Amino acid sequence: MKKILLLVACLGLPGRLTAQSGATISADAVVVTAGMTIATLRDLNFGTVIKGVPATVLPTAATAGAWQVTGSSNAFVIVSFTLPTQLTNIQALPGSAMPISFGGVSAIWRRATNSPVGGTIFNPATGAVGRFGPPPNPTMYLWLGGTVSPALTAKPGIYQGTVIVSLVYQ
Amino acid sequence: MRALWLAGMVLFASASLAAQGVMVAPHAVFIDHSRGSGSVLLYNPGTEPVEVSISTIFGYPTTDSSGNIRLNTIENPDSTVPSALAWVQAFPRRLTVAPKERQTVRLLARPPVGLGDGEYWLRLVIAAQAGTVPITGVSDTTAIQVGLKLEVRTIIGVNYRKGAVMTGVALSNLRAQVVGDSVITRAKLERRGNAAFIGMIRETIVDSTGAVRAQRMGDSLITSYQSPIGVYFTMEPRLASAIPVPGLPRGRYWLRYEVVAEREDLDPKVVLKAPAVRDSVRLVVP
Repeated sequence: MKKILLLVACLGLPGRLTAQSGATISADAVVVTAGMTIATLRDLNFGTVIKGVPATVLPTAATAGAWQVTGSSNAFVIVSFTLPTQLTNIQALPGSAMPISFGGVSAIWRRATNSPVGGTIFNPATGAVGRFGPPPNPTMYLWLGGTVSPALTAKPGIYQGTVIVSLVYQ
Repeated sequence: MRALWLAGMVLFASASLAAQGVMVAPHAVFIDHSRGSGSVLLYNPGTEPVEVSISTIFGYPTTDSSGNIRLNTIENPDSTVPSALAWVQAFPRRLTVAPKERQTVRLLARPPVGLGDGEYWLRLVIAAQAGTVPITGVSDTTAIQVGLKLEVRTIIGVNYRKGAVMTGVALSNLRAQVVGDSVITRAKLERRGNAAFIGMIRETIVDSTGAVRAQRMGDSLITSYQSPIGVYFTMEPRLASAIPVPGLPRGRYWLRYEVVAEREDLDPKVVLKAPAVRDSVRLVVP
């Protein structure tokens, strides 16, 4: 019961929790602490690019995408990406697109340390098995770079695509 | 102690989640046939609402030829695999989790009549829009701006258990070698019984006098390297543990390899008991 109170106090859970049965509270308290979450530390940002000139962001660059994953200490997690091949101009007429590519060294993962240098490089297209850090720092960091290739005829506007990160617990 | 650790974990997660995302808990769901349902909690620690969609797939961890662990997914599982994909459903399928709020996803099982005793699996996919790249200079229509949206999919296991379930693991073909500052091991693990083996691998290095040699995890020295493992059929994981500087002196050692049905990150009630299996292999530092 002490444990339950401590956890509920730490989380600041909504008041409706206290209206539930003791058994449910206990289960929920354990549930919340054993979770996994991901936070975007920095977006992958190509900024403004020039027509006809490919632009590459390395995973070690200050403009690379960066994410912090928090989970169970020392647990392995399978990391995979679903990556776009084209970005769509959301301001121009349909059919206006820009190629985007990712190479064998476009992604990095690292346990517990928020610095890509020294992390494990991997191909985001094939994924990797990462690992959370030991207590008291059960985190894993991910970085992603890539290359966009605007054509000489590319129309001005905002080009967008979606990157999907999948995290699989064993 | 465990309560303090858990509380610390919550505080850590709460403090570090200023950005988008949704916490998914637990990271493994076990449904008993007598109850027929389960639940997953979603918590939004951020300051913006998070849109979430829920789906299910069939898959289980396995290893590739290099020993890397990956998820083997089967789009249309047949009767040769213990799939619960066709009869476990998740509700709701789409939801929005408000900032600092939590919501529950219910799992409801409708198993077929005559379902045999055993464990049946599926995977729950929780997809959340975890952020959008802020685009600057939108008013500058002569420029080309590039941004990427991010979607995060958290994939957790769902194990449905009916009747007598038992598990175990057989260990064979253990090998180990020192490569640089790491000890690399591989071993064949074959599941026994009718349920997945959920447990831990422990590795200990012992020198010729019988003394345990330290290994390194982060900045800490440990006497035994541990790795969680889930053996659903057969796998041959490659593990790499670090040796502290300046490394092991030249000589012969033993690597003790142990697979136990224990998991610190899961409720002990859901971890099926099974006998530990052990083996040792000679480790030579030239």
